Amino acid sequence: MKNKRSTLMILLILLLTCAILITSGCTSTKGEETKQNNTSQYNNTTQSNTLVLGEMWEIKSIDIVDGDGGTLVCEKAAITETLVGANPDFSLKPGLATSWKQIDNNTWEFNLKNDVTFHDGTKMTAKEVKSSLENVIAKDSRVASMLKASSIDVVDDYTFRIKTSELNPIVPGVLHYPTTAIIGPSSFDKDGKYVKPVGTGPYKFDSFDEQSGILTVVRNENWWGGKVGLDKMIIKGIPDPNTRAMSIENGEVDFTADVPYSETDRINAIDGITVEKYKTPRDYKLELNLKHSPLDDIRVRQAMSYAIDRQDIAEHVLYNVGEPAAGPFLPTMVWANKNLKPYTRDLKKADELLKAAGWVDTNGDGIREKDGKPLKLNLMTYSQRPGLPPMAEAIAAQLKEAGISVETQVQEFGSLDERRKNGNWDLYLLAANVAMVPDPDYILTNWYMTGGADNGPGYSNPKVDSLIKDARKITDLNERYKKFNEVEAIVNEEQPMIIVAYYGCAIVKKDYVKGYVFDPTAHDYRINADMYIEK
Amino acid sequence: MNYFVKRVGFMAITVFAVCALTFFLVNLIPGGTAELIIKHTIVGIEDSVTKEQLEQISSRYNLNDPLYLQFYTWVKKAILTGDIGTSYVFKKPVLYLLALRLPATIQLAGASMVLAAVAGISLGIYSALRENQLSDHILRVATLFGVSMPGFWVALILILIFSLKLKLVPVSGYGNLENLFLPAVALSLHSVAAVMRITRTCMLETMGQEYIMFAKSKGLPMWKIVSRHALKNAMLPIVTVIGFQMGSLLGGAVVIEKIFAWPGIGSLLVDSISARDLPMIQGCVLAIVTMFLVVNFIVDIIYTHLDPRIRYG
Repeated sequence: MKNKRSTLMILLILLLTCAILITSGCTSTKGEETKQNNTSQYNNTTQSNTLVLGEMWEIKSIDIVDGDGGTLVCEKAAITETLVGANPDFSLKPGLATSWKQIDNNTWEFNLKNDVTFHDGTKMTAKEVKSSLENVIAKDSRVASMLKASSIDVVDDYTFRIKTSELNPIVPGVLHYPTTAIIGPSSFDKDGKYVKPVGTGPYKFDSFDEQSGILTVVRNENWWGGKVGLDKMIIKGIPDPNTRAMSIENGEVDFTADVPYSETDRINAIDGITVEKYKTPRDYKLELNLKHSPLDDIRVRQAMSYAIDRQDIAEHVLYNVGEPAAGPFLPTMVWANKNLKPYTRDLKKADELLKAAGWVDTNGDGIREKDGKPLKLNLMTYSQRPGLPPMAEAIAAQLKEAGISVETQVQEFGSLDERRKNGNWDLYLLAANVAMVPDPDYILTNWYMTGGADNGPGYSNPKVDSLIKDARKITDLNERYKKFNEVEAIVNEEQPMIIVAYYGCAIVKKDYVKGYVFDPTAHDYRINADMYIEK
Repeated sequence: MNYFVKRVGFMAITVFAVCALTFFLVNLIPGGTAELIIKHTIVGIEDSVTKEQLEQISSRYNLNDPLYLQFYTWVKKAILTGDIGTSYVFKKPVLYLLALRLPATIQLAGASMVLAAVAGISLGIYSALRENQLSDHILRVATLFGVSMPGFWVALILILIFSLKLKLVPVSGYGNLENLFLPAVALSLHSVAAVMRITRTCMLETMGQEYIMFAKSKGLPMWKIVSRHALKNAMLPIVTVIGFQMGSLLGGAVVIEKIFAWPGIGSLLVDSISARDLPMIQGCVLAIVTMFLVVNFIVDIIYTHLDPRIRYG
């Protein structure tokens, strides 16, 4: 009896010391300031008109010029705005620029709104726009290569011209890209070093805690667009999808995106939380290595496309965060070929096509052979996008039913890239962006033109090449889109890559968050100025 | 004194060797360094990289130089100016970024270690004193559970219980004591189990010694026997295990850090590796190795205090 009591005493004392040590250890390592900050964040629900945003990436930088903060600062924090906006069908609309036209082959002229001021109170004129754009061109090689600008000239206070080194129809589209958003001169210090984003948007930069990666923005009372819904927004990076789900369940965030797809329905059923599923301009696509037999045979490619059950994948792999796909472009896009329908599963047709190509299962093991060689393919993919590995498994299982054996391999991105270059792969499943800029030329050129930068399959069709080249010379949009529609129809027939599904985004928000409108042209999601909180 | 100098010398050599190894190994991983940097900083991971971008980045970071020259430049600069480079991804000095992340790592590792030591040792003692009784069996099964459960699963279950059901602590975040609780518990679970098992074994061994029998027959109270005689003698291997555990706690908290959005050094290192952010990788490894060596050094000093027979020199 005595023994028991004494050991218990030891235990108790030890546990107490433990508690004391932890407490003291913690309070000594952090300042009072951060502590106050964080309490207010956790109890934020008491502040009526502040939105806590659970951002899906870790917030590493708010540098929009020489960092990866461009999308965050423009689309999620709404601090900056671009010259050109876009409608839900991806057609362009005025942003900070009211209108634009191509005045000759190498010149685009833009007119600016004349009532826009930066957050520091200075007026936005062509001079500031010019230096803002020049800065991005100098630092961001991606924008530079898309814009192909040789010079930017100020015509008057609210007019400027972009001279391009060659005919470039996508200039307005590029200026919708978030890193081209206009920032004022006071974003930089005396030495030209970037300090903070001073934009024109509905929210103003307030603070960025580099240690915890929390960005805070406050309402811009003088926004040219009118009233702004929220007083304040606190944006926290929560990289783990499960944690984002539990954070909104627990009331720590009011708005977040992309919880695990399998969780969407459960969370939607929780009182006070709504999950909305949208299509975003990104394709789950399966590239086929056309240099490898039998993938050089169009019948085999078509058969594979018929063997894949896109509907099943959308429902059971993506949980409807995404949809079965036809052409590379979303059907809602203004330039998409609306006549294309997704390949629906048809094992009989697949069988006929494969038989015609000479692939028959002769030894009854469920795998087709030709000249004694079994129809075996490898499929590589990566895990950064959660839908990919399970989709690869589903595709492998579905192709197996058509007598094609597929071995799936999930790889680290670096080694995958290397392998793709070496060419020792058959199938590659990836999720690729189709509207980084709202213009079809960029994607069709890169994906389907001979030698295109993203033409992994090694596809080459002179007809496609000439259609794309012809379209570049056409300024009339409808005529241009006709050529592109033709390209889409050809590649849909020839299937050098199988477009499996459109990517989706699950927006998860508390019911008291009102006025949210999903913008499909954003690069994940966009916070709009009309959003407000009503409890 | 002589010993101390020697020891610091060895530490410096170790740090250098690890840095060199890291540098060359990272460059051996498949995938072009410049290309991956571009994919993680300028374009998306799926997007293609142009030749101009490759040239721009390669020349900006001198990636076309032979590896030994790149390493030599880095070492020279680090030793002469103390500057261990600028992160390609964050575009900020590595030392500055480490200074931001290290407090979080030390806090989490420290709290987990204290938890592991205190809970592990006390449960181990308890288990040893109750050898083969029901409570001993329960505890031993529990440690098996602790060793074998994956960290991410434990973390999610902890969130489920303590945040969603009991509403005691927030799900994720950094800065507050309440933020520290869940990650520290989740992270320490393996270590608690390891420390507990070694404590139990060592205690059983010492408790069977004759001097314990003597103390018992002398009529000493049990707590005195355990704390004065048994535990002190059993402590050596326990301290060793705790020292080793500290190493994994310092750099190996990647999953826990991701789940709890904890701005520590582990996830920073892993992200830096996939982005081929060489200076950042070097910085993280340097910090982790240094901390590990320091902990080991402290453990060695504790040895001499625990067992005066141990002398270094």
